[in-house]
Amino acid sequence: MANLSINLCGITLKNPVIAASGTYGFGREFNELYDVGQIGGVSTKGMTLEPRLGNPVPRIAESRGVILNAVGLQNPGVEHFLAEDLEWLKSTGTCVIANVAGKTLEDYEKICARLDGLVDMIELNISCPNVKSGGMAFGIKPESVEAVTRAAKKSLKTTPLIVKLSPNVESIAENARAAERGGADCISLINTLTGMAIDIERRKPIIANNTGGVSGAGIKPIAVRMVYEAAQAVKIPVIGMGGITCAEDAIEFLMAGAAAVQVGTANFTDPYAMPKIIKGLNDWCDKHGVANVSDLTGTLQLNQR
Amino acid sequence: MKDYIATITKNEQIADNIFAVTFDLGETPCVRAGQFGNISIDGTHLLRRPIAICKTEGNEVTFCYQIKGLGTQKLKNMGAGTRLNVLMPLGNGFYVEDTEQKVALVGGGVGVFPLISVLRAYKDTKEIAAYIGYRNRGAVCGVEEFAKAQKFIAVTDDGSYGAQMNAVQAFAADLEKGNRPDVVLACGPTPMLRALKALVEKENLPCYVSLEERMGCGIGACLVCVCDQTNGQRARVCKDGPVFNAKEVVL
Repeated sequence: MANLSINLCGITLKNPVIAASGTYGFGREFNELYDVGQIGGVSTKGMTLEPRLGNPVPRIAESRGVILNAVGLQNPGVEHFLAEDLEWLKSTGTCVIANVAGKTLEDYEKICARLDGLVDMIELNISCPNVKSGGMAFGIKPESVEAVTRAAKKSLKTTPLIVKLSPNVESIAENARAAERGGADCISLINTLTGMAIDIERRKPIIANNTGGVSGAGIKPIAVRMVYEAAQAVKIPVIGMGGITCAEDAIEFLMAGAAAVQVGTANFTDPYAMPKIIKGLNDWCDKHGVANVSDLTGTLQLNQR
Repeated sequence: MKDYIATITKNEQIADNIFAVTFDLGETPCVRAGQFGNISIDGTHLLRRPIAICKTEGNEVTFCYQIKGLGTQKLKNMGAGTRLNVLMPLGNGFYVEDTEQKVALVGGGVGVFPLISVLRAYKDTKEIAAYIGYRNRGAVCGVEEFAKAQKFIAVTDDGSYGAQMNAVQAFAADLEKGNRPDVVLACGPTPMLRALKALVEKENLPCYVSLEERMGCGIGACLVCVCDQTNGQRARVCKDGPVFNAKEVVL
């Protein structure tokens, strides 16, 4: 048995496998299939201060090797989470990561202040529209990544802050450094890539929102490259995600520099994907004489060119 | 709910573009009429295909599906012995109260198949009238099942089988003759359900509709498949539904 536990910003996770936000709700549904407590961490459905209804349907489409989604942050609001889900999710023994989003810097400050000390970690979703700076997402420009990180961090006395980076940017390394400068304790990437799928009979996009976030197995090489570039750029730990389907995929991310990984779309294809990945990580480590899974982080050796 | 490793025992065409696939689950599932299964086609299709359970018999479960895209194309070509993961049963299903004796089934298109599961569940204890609409003669299927109802009225859009009308019109015509059910259970295309909702509201009849929506996880976690509720909220079709009180959803 390899030691799968990791330490992320002072928080111990029993293994480096975390449920990615938006694919796992608050864990209750998957707990009907298996004990959610065996998962390293759960990043909750993205939450806002007030409840949100999200986008019209259809919200999902499939393309070869990937899916697209545009749920639009439907969520019951942070107070509902605190009243109904937090205690239960904590009681499972998993690491509770609250994924939060906002429209303004003040929203991020307020929601972080509300959750500070109550959850294990906070993950900042900065890919939603920023009405205050003309519709640009907070997550696109390094300056706004730094600003929103700083605003969130200011509201947090104890809870470590993860900043989730968008891949739809000019330089992932620049944005990773911007998050670090803003005070992030950790970064996670990649969020979904923006895409479109068309119903050719109707000559219309399948998703009501027209565009959607692309995720799933097909995006993995892009994600691995970006995780590598981001990990090279910062000293804070990195959580890697994007198309992880099996333990071997997870190991690629660890070697590229990730301290932990998140699994999203694979939960739809196989609801038992995460327990299988955790078991597969242990088996791979045992087979390769790796005593601690954390020893794999950043062990990639580039080819000499 | 369980992710069965299910073995195909039969997979055959039953009407134009409609196939029925039967799986052996290796054990007898506990299924309520109107629930569905989420079928994993293969590793290259990241989304499973949510399909209504048409019938269960011992260890076997049958799903009927329309060929729509690459996933159902692939499923169509899978023969007996093929093993697939089937997560089921999912969703709430139809429920008929003890006080409701006369049950009207109103179905159209692929919506007829979950109604077969209702018919099989209640045919011995309830008085069932089925009003089933098909596009044309070629689309007609499930007749041998619906024939077990006390009343079965089949109609087609083009009049090539039964009268030329839709299922809601057939139900409305029977209502006018004084044949009033205690409850209406329906599944079909949204325009059909919309027309039915207007009719049952006018007639003040209880009505439950099974909805269809593109799904992600199929178990209520991802909030992809939602429907608008009359209270201004949004419900999950896969977990809170697929069956809803017609009064409570906006169609």
